[in-house]
Amino acid sequence: MGSPESTFIQEAKDHLQILEEVLLELENTPDNSEHVDAAFRALHTLKGSGSMFGFGELAGFTHHFEDAFDQLREGRAKVSPELIAVSLDSRDHLASLLDLGPDTEAPDALRAVGDVLLARLAKLKGTPIKGTAEGAHEVPAPVSEVADQNVPSRWFISFSPEPAALKNGFRPDLLWDELAQLGDLQLTCFDDRIPALEDLETGECYLRWEMELNANVPRDRIEDVFIFCMDAEITIKTLDEEAAVEDLNPAQGVDDPTKTPDKAATTPATATKSESVRVDARRLDDLMDQLGELVIAQARLKSISDTLDDPRLETTVEEIDTLVTGLRDTTLSIRMLPVSMVFSKFRRVIRDLSVELDKPAQLITEGGETEVDKNIIDCLTEPLVHMIRNSVDHGVEDAATRKAAGKPDMATIHLSASQSGGEVLISIKDDGGGLNADAIRVRAIERGMISEDQEVSTEALYQLIFEPGFSTAQNLSSVSGRGVGMDAVRRVVDDLRGSIDVKSTPGQGTEVILRLPLTLAIIDGLLVDVDGDKFVLPLSSVEECVDLPESENQREDGRTILRIRDQLVPYLSLDNLFGYTPSAVERRRVAIVKADGQRVGLVVDDVLGQLQTVIKPLSPFHRSVEELAGATILGDGSIALVLDVNALVRRASSTLIAA
Amino acid sequence: MTLQTESRPTAQIHQLNPQSSKTETLLTFRLAEQLFGVAVERVTEIIDPQRTARVPNANPLAPTLINVRGSVVPVLDLRNRLGMKPAEQSPTSRMLVIDITLNGEPCKLAVMADAVEDVIEAVVDDLETVPELGIRWPAGCFRGVSKRQDQLVILLDADTVFALPVH
Repeated sequence: MGSPESTFIQEAKDHLQILEEVLLELENTPDNSEHVDAAFRALHTLKGSGSMFGFGELAGFTHHFEDAFDQLREGRAKVSPELIAVSLDSRDHLASLLDLGPDTEAPDALRAVGDVLLARLAKLKGTPIKGTAEGAHEVPAPVSEVADQNVPSRWFISFSPEPAALKNGFRPDLLWDELAQLGDLQLTCFDDRIPALEDLETGECYLRWEMELNANVPRDRIEDVFIFCMDAEITIKTLDEEAAVEDLNPAQGVDDPTKTPDKAATTPATATKSESVRVDARRLDDLMDQLGELVIAQARLKSISDTLDDPRLETTVEEIDTLVTGLRDTTLSIRMLPVSMVFSKFRRVIRDLSVELDKPAQLITEGGETEVDKNIIDCLTEPLVHMIRNSVDHGVEDAATRKAAGKPDMATIHLSASQSGGEVLISIKDDGGGLNADAIRVRAIERGMISEDQEVSTEALYQLIFEPGFSTAQNLSSVSGRGVGMDAVRRVVDDLRGSIDVKSTPGQGTEVILRLPLTLAIIDGLLVDVDGDKFVLPLSSVEECVDLPESENQREDGRTILRIRDQLVPYLSLDNLFGYTPSAVERRRVAIVKADGQRVGLVVDDVLGQLQTVIKPLSPFHRSVEELAGATILGDGSIALVLDVNALVRRASSTLIAA
Repeated sequence: MTLQTESRPTAQIHQLNPQSSKTETLLTFRLAEQLFGVAVERVTEIIDPQRTARVPNANPLAPTLINVRGSVVPVLDLRNRLGMKPAEQSPTSRMLVIDITLNGEPCKLAVMADAVEDVIEAVVDDLETVPELGIRWPAGCFRGVSKRQDQLVILLDADTVFALPVH
């Protein structure tokens, strides 16, 4: 792990994430005091550790923000929609302050934003609720007089920081300040841990402290102070009753306990350490690269062993094969993250959108536990935001139309993930008006994408909404309005070697399904031969392989349609598409692939078999060739190019239209 | 010694200090009977010609790929780049694997040479312009010509000659 600052930034981001989730929960269940506590703890931790790591602006702002939640905790205020709104905005402000980095003054613009938020917070604070109908018999007393029977008034705290604490940026003085704010603090410092001079490590912390705190505060207030001293030995006990329980509830922490158990605060040093380890993403990438090399070397070794025909070598090669496969699966699983990491962001997106567009909408997510490669997760946010915006903005009808159609006022966006074979399916489904196929057709003809008498399946028409700039037509309201976005979605999905399916029922809504590979680094492919060169088709896009009827070889009328069972499938000849000399092979094969929702046959000289292989990106010299997804090295050391089936078919059909 | 003082301020310095001349280590190779030089630190290895894989629909200047010990490396057609006629591979043909930085991104490429000649120390602060040897050279590929005994070595500018227009 990096410096203490980067640890702090990472943890602060986690806290902000938790804060956002909690705030959104609070909006639905304003009376849930657990959520108020969780929000307060997140803020309190940010404040304390923020100032410790030089994020003064952040700490300063959080201080006021925290106050608001302190009032909530003490019942002097209650959750209101305005409070949630201000809090969400404040959370975003904190995120911007965090991005500034340590020891940086906020620019004026940012500071102005902060001031506005503070004013809004202050206004909320200035109007504490009083004498409401249900609160009449519990008029809140000033805080100093709140003397809860159950809250002890005298605390004994023993605190021994771990030896490396000072190196990690631990500042005892700040802790004492914070404790002193809670009440009267008596501090005793012990030097009995200092070793003999020859064993002394400069920079290690050998001091320990015992203190007595006279304050009417609950235990977690004190625990909160020590929240960042996770490796220290801390004992907190009340002096009011000697019989007071001494155990510290280890589950009480700042974080959602299901997510990061044991990370929080006051667990004694003897308790089990966290089961998870944070790893730099780059190291994971390195590991993956090296594993890729290993898989290739293994394939080479296997092909050498096949030629040597030595049983001892073969046994060893098989053994290594099993090990490499296991190692690969484990490494891939390390990189797998639950989709819920992305999904959780969208509750906020939906909330903001429905306020902004005045269209009440709710988000229902499913299958958040589905795991996807980290690199894919990282790329997913942006396209999903586009698609969700699109669904709410253009998919969901206005209130009057919904009413007339007998739909509930509240629109529902379903966001779900599931795994199917080697693919992850992510579906965004709205209950809006659906796509208007006729309008799309008219627009496509206008733009010259299809000819007027061309028969296009509804599925293929739907795919047109992903064309750049397609959706600028005003009367195509159910598709989109901005003209940007959907083509960006397709670009990202293409880069991820995925595909998009669109289903829509007029009047009932639209479902867009992203089909993505589980991982980017390794591909299951079909190896084919075209004019002596080898190419790999991603297996996920191949539906079946058939023989090319010999009659097609002699065909000279330019029609390239195959009848497969009862379906007509257009086909393309790869040698022709690649500008190679026309194949003289007699019995050619056709790989039927699915490209942009359409079945297309790709004619190749031969199908050589399936393989699992590591994809290597192409150099800048070839990256612009869109129909190539990458290259791979085969067992015999030769290179095969990996084809991007969607781009290939798109390119072919665009040249056909141009011709 | 011919000086091109307008465009080369170093040459003036050279006039003032005739003893110190700046030299560079060059790898020389032959292409269409002409001797070319490239800064030796750019060349990571010299290998025998490899089996290449065609890249369909690629820029004709980078038509193929080779496998250099596990990396997929594009092969640049230097003859095409320099406006020379294509030639058959000969027994002396070798491939140079070269490191360049393209748009800030480090990348490897390979070029085929008819023969690899030598590693020489060449004086590089008094380069002459490249003569038109019956060929019209594309602009910006050369740093100049270094004279060595009675041979002319054309110094390639690795950063520009190998940086293809990425379309």
